[in-house]
Amino acid sequence: MIEWLDDFAVRAVIAGLIMVAIAAPMGCLMVWQRLAFLSDTLGHAAVMGVGLGLLLQVQPIFGVLAVALLIVFSLSRVTSFNTALSETTLAIISHTGLAGGIILVGLLPANTVNLEAILFGDLLATTTSDLLTLLVTTVLLLFVLLHHWRSFVAVSVSREIAQAEGIEVRKVQFLMYIMIALLVAVMMKVMGVLLIAAMLVIPTTSARLFSRSPEQMVFISGLYGLGALAGGITGSFHFDWQTGPAIVVSATLLLLLTLVVTRSLKPHLE
Amino acid sequence: MQAELLVRARRLSLTLGKRQILDDISFELRRAEITTIIGPNGAGKTTLTNIVNGLIGDFEGEIERMPGLRIGYLPQKVYVNTLMPLSVKRLLQLTYSPTDQELDRALAQTEVAYLKQRQVRSLSEGELKRVLLARTTLGQPDLIVLDEPTAGVDVSGETRMYKLIGELRDQLQCAVLLVSHDLHLVMSQTDQVLCLNQHLCCSGLPESVSQHPEYLALFGQQASDSIAIYTHHHDHEHDVSGESPEHRHD
Repeated sequence: MIEWLDDFAVRAVIAGLIMVAIAAPMGCLMVWQRLAFLSDTLGHAAVMGVGLGLLLQVQPIFGVLAVALLIVFSLSRVTSFNTALSETTLAIISHTGLAGGIILVGLLPANTVNLEAILFGDLLATTTSDLLTLLVTTVLLLFVLLHHWRSFVAVSVSREIAQAEGIEVRKVQFLMYIMIALLVAVMMKVMGVLLIAAMLVIPTTSARLFSRSPEQMVFISGLYGLGALAGGITGSFHFDWQTGPAIVVSATLLLLLTLVVTRSLKPHLE
Repeated sequence: MQAELLVRARRLSLTLGKRQILDDISFELRRAEITTIIGPNGAGKTTLTNIVNGLIGDFEGEIERMPGLRIGYLPQKVYVNTLMPLSVKRLLQLTYSPTDQELDRALAQTEVAYLKQRQVRSLSEGELKRVLLARTTLGQPDLIVLDEPTAGVDVSGETRMYKLIGELRDQLQCAVLLVSHDLHLVMSQTDQVLCLNQHLCCSGLPESVSQHPEYLALFGQQASDSIAIYTHHHDHEHDVSGESPEHRHD
């Protein structure tokens, strides 16, 4: 294998960079379409997937993917064109998945699984095969995003108008759900299931404060994501903080900083 | 000779749960004709337009559209996604690829050229409606579907909006399907009225509809009189709209 990949720190940084590259565009789309809560639900329910995967002795990521896909398939059956995903439904799925998952994980022999790593991420433990999975999935997602970007943006602006103008909104929506399921499965390793949504929402919110176009917002989200990643990894290396939480706290600090700066600049700009 | 047939709806019905939303509705839409749907709240007006523009698929009955029919749609409530940074110019380019000239011309047509570089989230409701109306013209539509285009627009804006719709029809030679509460303002331009209350109460020319017993039962004699006044005194639209007691809004 390539030698420099032997260094766990190098693997962690690469995993983080790949995650930022996909979290920025997906995060923007999900915020625009108010789907951030769905990623949270899939994340919580992913614990069930991890448990199932370990019980059935397959890679946990396949268990997670199976559960996430099952959820989005069911959701796309029950939601009609005009109704947004119900918060109640999502909350029930979310917490049942988490609770059931914890019970499943508890059934396993002691020390088979590090629950904390599942919940809050363990970037520094990224293996070469984790990296490969992350890379392949991200490239696939980016390809689909580029290919359908126009439709995704149009549907985000107005489902009704997009549909009347010939975009098949339900198909686009379904594609989006499947992509979110994939995203959650790969982000789990880095962020931990409980903190995935934070990485999709917080850098995006910072970017929104001064973006002028959808693409600009994606790009700036990416920059904020990089900043949060740098902060998180530094915290992890030097202070032994858990990576996921350290990334989230860094992202929020950057958001606060941006708010303060834009607020104090505003009177001068006008 | 009749104008080209664009849409033919035959015996449309729709039931949601136990509630009958639409009951046995038939009509035709023809090129360069303005068809206005009127009816009380909950009459099924928006549902009917959604069947025409393809947003609702699970209905009974038949709808035939001219092959390759292009539809421009202006929904009643436009949910502006304030979370997305988007300029007016970009909004117009979402699904179409207009040239700069086409874009400027469309915006000028609805008198909002000055908004081109503005962010969509900073527009007022009236401004947004006009931008979206400009947008519907970009795809060279055969049919424009407008669901209460004047909701949220002030009274003087209403009159201008309807005038604009008439001009667009003349320039683009497209059919217009219009949902409206402002009977007295729309009537002079309308070629066909569909008076809807789950079933089709009556339909036809504005003058004949306004004398129909079912229409009178729904909207009252005063509404009918205001149309009569309007059709006889085209020039005084402001007075009539100002005095009309029948001003319903959703």
